Amino acid sequence: MHVVVAGISHKTAPLELRERLALDDEAALRVSRELLDEGVACEVVALSTCNRTELYQWARDSLAARHAALAHLARHAGVAPSELEPALYSHSGDGAVAHLFRVTSSLDSMVVGEAQIVAQLKAAYQLASDGGCTAVVFNRLFRHALEVGKRVRTETAIGERPVSVSSAAVGLAQQVFGDLRDRSVLIIGAGETSELTATHLKANGIERILVANRTFAASTDLAARIGGEAVRFEDLEEHLVAADIVISSTSAPHYVVTRESVERAVKRRRHRPMFLIDIAVPRDLDPEIDRVRNAYLYDIDDLQQVVEHNRHEREREAQLAERIVEQELANVNDWLRGLEVVPTIATLREAVEEIRRGELARLGNRLSGLTDEQRAQVEMLTTSIVNKILHVPTVKMKEVAGRDQCYLYVDAVRTLFDLDGHAGDDGDTPAGDAGRATADHTDRAAAEDAPSGGTVHRLRGTGTEDA
Amino acid sequence: MELASVILVWLAYLLYAAAFAVFLIGFVTQRPWTNALGRWVAAAALAAQAVGLVLRGVEAGHFPFAGLYESMVLLSCAIALVWSVAESLTRLKAIGLYVMPVVLVLLTVALVEYNPPVGLGPVLRSDIVVVHVTVMLVAIGCLYVAGGAAIIYLIEEALLRRRRPGGVLGRLPSLAALERLVYRATLLGVPFLTMGMAAGVIRAETFRVPGWATDPMVLLSVAAWAVYLALIAGRVRREWTGRAVSWLAVTGLVLLLVIRFAAVPYLSAFHTYGA
Repeated sequence: MHVVVAGISHKTAPLELRERLALDDEAALRVSRELLDEGVACEVVALSTCNRTELYQWARDSLAARHAALAHLARHAGVAPSELEPALYSHSGDGAVAHLFRVTSSLDSMVVGEAQIVAQLKAAYQLASDGGCTAVVFNRLFRHALEVGKRVRTETAIGERPVSVSSAAVGLAQQVFGDLRDRSVLIIGAGETSELTATHLKANGIERILVANRTFAASTDLAARIGGEAVRFEDLEEHLVAADIVISSTSAPHYVVTRESVERAVKRRRHRPMFLIDIAVPRDLDPEIDRVRNAYLYDIDDLQQVVEHNRHEREREAQLAERIVEQELANVNDWLRGLEVVPTIATLREAVEEIRRGELARLGNRLSGLTDEQRAQVEMLTTSIVNKILHVPTVKMKEVAGRDQCYLYVDAVRTLFDLDGHAGDDGDTPAGDAGRATADHTDRAAAEDAPSGGTVHRLRGTGTEDA
Repeated sequence: MELASVILVWLAYLLYAAAFAVFLIGFVTQRPWTNALGRWVAAAALAAQAVGLVLRGVEAGHFPFAGLYESMVLLSCAIALVWSVAESLTRLKAIGLYVMPVVLVLLTVALVEYNPPVGLGPVLRSDIVVVHVTVMLVAIGCLYVAGGAAIIYLIEEALLRRRRPGGVLGRLPSLAALERLVYRATLLGVPFLTMGMAAGVIRAETFRVPGWATDPMVLLSVAAWAVYLALIAGRVRREWTGRAVSWLAVTGLVLLLVIRFAAVPYLSAFHTYGA
């Protein structure tokens, strides 16, 4: 059995194709169920964000799984498989697990280090799990993947620095003011970047947004869109006093705000700091403003420079994240290999043999009166009991070895006999996990009975980076 | 007990150094776990140092402020204590980056100039001296922390102005938070400074110390006190904020350092630190 992933992403497919392949919750479940019903895969998770659509399968034949994924995705999107083929990538085994881990670590994202993907993957997994499309392997694998995503975010600084102009502006504002909740922002001109920045600021807690535009109607429009308040352009100077942050992006050919007006504003603000962002070309804000005490002015070039610098930092952190992915991959591989029948039988026999020998040793003193011949008979007797007990399970395991569901038996045996040595640990151990998952799996017929405790996080479409 | 005390102070020294290293690594690499780890290591150091001080006091039979060794260990302990309180209240990163080296320097001086515990000379055997010392330590702890925050504020401000926020973005506390810390630490420190100076004056008057009022140390202390009062007055009326407040806090810090490391050992006629 292999983990197989097949899909398209921003790296292989243009937006137009990605849009057509995007799966909403219902479609994701439908495609997954079809793959399960066809018997290609035993477990399926479909991940769809606006930068990628991927099908993860736990399948016997990786080539067949790839073909099936291609066929189903093509049919769903209404494109010819031959048209989809060049954009489709697929990995199996180690490659697929590594890919999954890289995706959750946001190493495969358009903006490396973005934070949305973990929530998106969690939602996709939850959907599949609630829909009965996952069992032992994917329950474990995807939870592990989410942990990897978390680990990368806590152990590296991959997501620490803003890498877009608008988020850099927000980062700088936070560097000046700290918490933005009680701050207010004045937007001059109704450009796209200022709208984006205002949205970012709002997401970071700013509540009061003032919009000033030469045409009042445009101000009201933008104000309504971002939940702000439209103000008269003629009263700009008044509003400067109330504004902690000023974002300007008019198409005016001259300076809209002069050094003198900022000087007056800062004075009337009783020297509370002001942070001004000029994203207009030609510039709106007099560069001299930066000389005013407690006023900080950044123009578009300054912001670009910050972004550039942070990109480099992220690339460095990404290398660290790759190393974490490699480590985690090794952990998962050990576990996946354990799901093979033959080594499990061997481990089971060893474990039971150990118990037998242990018990004999414990009786050592009481058996000391026996002759060598009698002792040999005791040995034989105990060995034959053990062999008799293990005979049927061994035969049955070998019987199912050829079947798709064999890993469920393997997992059950490993759990029941505690072959991974986790007895006594808390419930999050592989054995505990697997046990729960096996129960889920047998219930698949009654698939709508979602495992308890799972909440679905519908975060699709709310993301700013990888949504 | 003397040995145990010295071992604990050495242990504290090593732990402070470790905490400093962790903060430094955290600053450079921005690993989120470093801040918490550094805080714990520093807390362990502080605990070791405090126990070491208590043992020293028990051994010497008096409040451990006599001589260079004791006064330095005590001062660094006070600074670390004020810092850890400020840290836990404000959760500001990076102040430890300044406080740890200060503590390390003071402890280095202490350990180099080590002397075994001795009984107090008659001059220091007075309750008012103990009050003076204790209150001053709290004041200096606060004002050192304020000075540190002010230095970080000025550096961060300069970097923001020079369009080089790469080094500070997300690494240092916000300008607003630093300014608040400067102001609040000063606000807390100044009443103690006032009390400590009053206790000093009472002590000098009751023992009729000749010429204390014109002693360089006393004059410099009054100057520092005036600087801090000006800082508070300007900030309350919001005429001085940000840079102005920070520069005043740094000026005050420089005066405090001059008093301790120049005026007291070389100029002052009567202030002895029990030597």
